[in-house]
Amino acid sequence: MEKNDDKDPDHNDKSIIEEKADVVSDAHPPDESDGISKENVDVGNAETEHNPEDNVESEGEETHQQTLESLSEELDQLLSSLSLHKEEHKDDNTEEKEKGDQEDDDYFQIPQFVGKFLDLLEDKLSRYDSGEPKTVWYQDQEEVSSLLEAVDRVSNLMRLLLNTKSCLDHHEPLINHAGSIQQRAMAFLEDEFRILLEESVIKETALAMDDASSQRKSTEDAVVSQDQDQVTAPEPGDQEIEYPGYSEDVVALLRKIAEKMKAGGYGWECREVYLVGRRNILMRTLKHDCEFEKVSIDEVQKMSWGELEREIPIWTKTFKNCSSLFFPGELKLAEKIFPGDEGSLFCIVAHGLTIQFLGFAEAVAMTKRSTEKLFKILDIYETLRDSFPPMEELFWEELRSELRNEVTSARSRLGESAINIFSDLENSIKSDSSKTPVPGGAVHPLTRYTMNYLKYSCEYKDTLEQVFKSHSKMEQEEEVPANNSACSAFASQLMRIMDLLDGNMEAKSKLYKDIPLSCIFMMNNGRYIVQKIKGSAEIHEVMGDTWCRRRSSELRNYHKSYQRETWGKLLGFLGHEGLMHNGKIVKPNLKERFKSFNATFDEIHKTQTTWVINDEQLQSELRVSITAVMIPAYRAFMARFGQYLDPGRQTEKYVKYQPEDIEDLIDELFEGNTSSSSTATAKRRT
Amino acid sequence: MRPAQDNQGSFLGRISIRRNQFTDVNTEQEQEDLELFQKHIADRFTELLTPPPPPQPPSDETDAVASVAATEQIMSVTWLRKLMDVFLCCEAEFKAILLMGRDPTQISKPPFDRLVPEMLDRSIKALDICTAVVNGIDSVRHYQRLAEIAVAALEQRPLGDGNVRRAKRALANLLIALSIEDKENVSSGGGGNKTVERSWSFGRRGGGSSAASKGGATIGQLKSSSWAVGRNWSAAKQIHAMTANLTPPRGNEAAGLPLPMFIMSTVTVFVMWVLTAAVPCQERAGLANHLPVPKHLNWAQSLVGIHEKIGDEWKKKEKKGSAGLMEEMTRMEKLGHSLIEFADGFHYPAEKEAAESAAAQVAEMAEICRRMEEELVPLQQQIREVFHRIVRSRAEILEVLEQAGKLSAPVV
Repeated sequence: MEKNDDKDPDHNDKSIIEEKADVVSDAHPPDESDGISKENVDVGNAETEHNPEDNVESEGEETHQQTLESLSEELDQLLSSLSLHKEEHKDDNTEEKEKGDQEDDDYFQIPQFVGKFLDLLEDKLSRYDSGEPKTVWYQDQEEVSSLLEAVDRVSNLMRLLLNTKSCLDHHEPLINHAGSIQQRAMAFLEDEFRILLEESVIKETALAMDDASSQRKSTEDAVVSQDQDQVTAPEPGDQEIEYPGYSEDVVALLRKIAEKMKAGGYGWECREVYLVGRRNILMRTLKHDCEFEKVSIDEVQKMSWGELEREIPIWTKTFKNCSSLFFPGELKLAEKIFPGDEGSLFCIVAHGLTIQFLGFAEAVAMTKRSTEKLFKILDIYETLRDSFPPMEELFWEELRSELRNEVTSARSRLGESAINIFSDLENSIKSDSSKTPVPGGAVHPLTRYTMNYLKYSCEYKDTLEQVFKSHSKMEQEEEVPANNSACSAFASQLMRIMDLLDGNMEAKSKLYKDIPLSCIFMMNNGRYIVQKIKGSAEIHEVMGDTWCRRRSSELRNYHKSYQRETWGKLLGFLGHEGLMHNGKIVKPNLKERFKSFNATFDEIHKTQTTWVINDEQLQSELRVSITAVMIPAYRAFMARFGQYLDPGRQTEKYVKYQPEDIEDLIDELFEGNTSSSSTATAKRRT
Repeated sequence: MRPAQDNQGSFLGRISIRRNQFTDVNTEQEQEDLELFQKHIADRFTELLTPPPPPQPPSDETDAVASVAATEQIMSVTWLRKLMDVFLCCEAEFKAILLMGRDPTQISKPPFDRLVPEMLDRSIKALDICTAVVNGIDSVRHYQRLAEIAVAALEQRPLGDGNVRRAKRALANLLIALSIEDKENVSSGGGGNKTVERSWSFGRRGGGSSAASKGGATIGQLKSSSWAVGRNWSAAKQIHAMTANLTPPRGNEAAGLPLPMFIMSTVTVFVMWVLTAAVPCQERAGLANHLPVPKHLNWAQSLVGIHEKIGDEWKKKEKKGSAGLMEEMTRMEKLGHSLIEFADGFHYPAEKEAAESAAAQVAEMAEICRRMEEELVPLQQQIREVFHRIVRSRAEILEVLEQAGKLSAPVV
């Protein structure tokens, strides 16, 4: 027996290797002689494990003199002597199948109690089947060990009987009987395994309440999923998602059952039940917790954007959770219940699902492009980029590379789609040729739309950078010169769009007949663009300081020409020339000047209060600079010439405004008032 | 400003393409290509229709030999893999004809403004079928594992009651899975659950379970609805939709590009139809009857032949309910039934004759499992390849159309 013990690790290694080599085919029975020598070794394994436990034998349901428990000890003794018996013939047995070069003449007597033991086990199973016991067997620790140990003994017995030539020769009926009971026990365990697998998972949240260990586990999981979400865009309600697992007790029991079934050669049934059960549980969880519902590619094409827009966050959430929670959980669980499985079960459970996930990504990339889809497409792109690598780690090498190819393909598709959306945006700017000027020279909706779009897209700056770098094969062919600059592909894309927007706005400014108004229009739009860029670190970084400075100086030019166009003329009325003749004031001229000034100013005020400057700062800058030019000039003019008008009626008639009035009126400009400004003027005068 | 540039660019491109490519706008050349294409299609399907060596009549110890011969049979895994290869070849050739050296504007003009989108829509539907079939093959792998359990149990010596009951249990699961009707198999919600319940009722605590009757199926079914392509997705509907507007080109269209488009679409629909027939697939009611294939065209002769063969088989099976017509599955089912019969009549000790004939069947089952083991995964991978090919081609065609759109846009 000690010898057998020595071989245990060897055996384990071997079985691991076999399993790993082939998930499915190890259901093929190993060729017989091989199986025997392998199982041989197993005997010692099972026994050493159970002997100590036998010492703490329960007196439980001892009725007469013979119970499962009392017979167990005897059976164990028999088993060990049987295996010793085999040991003695070990040398011969190595070639056992080769049909006796030596006749086995040691007939091994099998005592009566073996049959009795089998009968008792059968009775036990029948009682379970009839539903007689009031409590479920697995809720009673003693029952659990009693049953599982008995099953183990039958398996050991079977193995020894089958591997001992003398037994094969003389005890076939017993072998049949024992095999039959073993099958019955295994079928029972299989059913129980499935029921446990299916039913205890639903109770898991409830169990977690009083089961400290599982509670800890689930909070751990929750933390993981939260962390994951904080890295990327947080989705509401993720915290509640938990892995559909089992309490530690249930896991231990499942593992024991799996172990016993495997030891008895029924491991494949157990694995199959597990596969089917876990797949169903996983799908159910995805559906209930993540609201994930499979959608066909065809359906995705037919969905409205509104519908699809709702599907995508569900998809990303599900994918992330699979990567951070569900899949690692599946892998761990399989390893716990089937130690040494090394992920083969996990691969079967998760592989098909992963492929389906990727199908959705492809499907979205295939939908008709539109600019509004960009951000959701990038969400999917990022999810694949960030959540797939940890996921692929869980799979076996062969599957990993296959899945990686699938992901690469999906990402290229999405990336190309994103790039095309940008060129669509370019085209839509180019082709926007609305001929109606925006009233008051305000910011054009196209500027607003484009800038907000770009600003938002710069929140995905790094991703877009990556997308343009990795997927823009077409663009490069077409636009080689544009890409020659030192800046990145995405930055140059952005510049190109800015230039297009500028071009478009300049064309639109020509729609205003009033030159100052077209200046205001350009200022408004320019200012809006600059503010947007300054307001977002991401886009600012892409466009750079130089660009902003250049842009600001352009704005100053528009400012200057506005000032010149509008106020230069007005200032002309405040000049001295023509008012003096030979050191004397030419009064009619003076009166004329005042009249013209007033009329022109009124006109300016009237039109330009309807003009719009959206940006408050720009508005006050403009007013301040107008005031700075106008007020000193007007004040000086008044000081110099005001005295020549007769006080009273004449002054009242020609000096319509005091410098303060002018200042106030300037402050009313660019309000975008559509009502007449004259009322305001009238009010102010009183 | 840019459109003009584009225009000029691709105009030059066009000229250089014309100079370099074998396909010319020249219709004579095109005609030759089209004929060659049709010939290739015909050849490929003829080869599929008549697999090389006919199966030998099985003699006692040559089961393995016989099943090797059966390898190439229509609907065997190996044959399905060949079919995938054929599809990929046809597709590559077709794309060359459609796109290579062609003036993009040509395929955006009528009747192509209708034909091309229809074709692209078909390819989307084909993608879903690929996904469904890949899932279906997952189910077949489940059947394979069940069969392997039965094989392992029945290969035990001495063969006792326990082994036989074990095998029976696995086979019962297998047969339930194999005979599930489509509706039950996958339709959303209720149907799937019903199946699960049915198999559950065999389980413990489910009525009179004396030891002997405990051979029932228990492993449970995959709730296939959860593995389906989509909630209300139906293979039958998709294939119907694919064929709805698929009509042979008439008049002067029949001589030009519409013809290979029609051929390729027919091939695609046909291949998808075969796949849905072969393995479990979501909702395929009525598909056995419905597939309009063009009867009197030369290139389609063999395709029609294969279609008839499969269709006949399908109609027979449809009444009973069947998970798929894959040759190995059909054989597995037959063997399963007769092994269950053997199990039912089994009394320890085994009768020699019965045991021997069972052993032969077990060996055949083992051989089927082995073949499935070897070929199912590669078949799955090929179908994924088909999937990606279709995706790529679709993208390429759209790209060309877009180019055409730019070209035809008025230069401002």
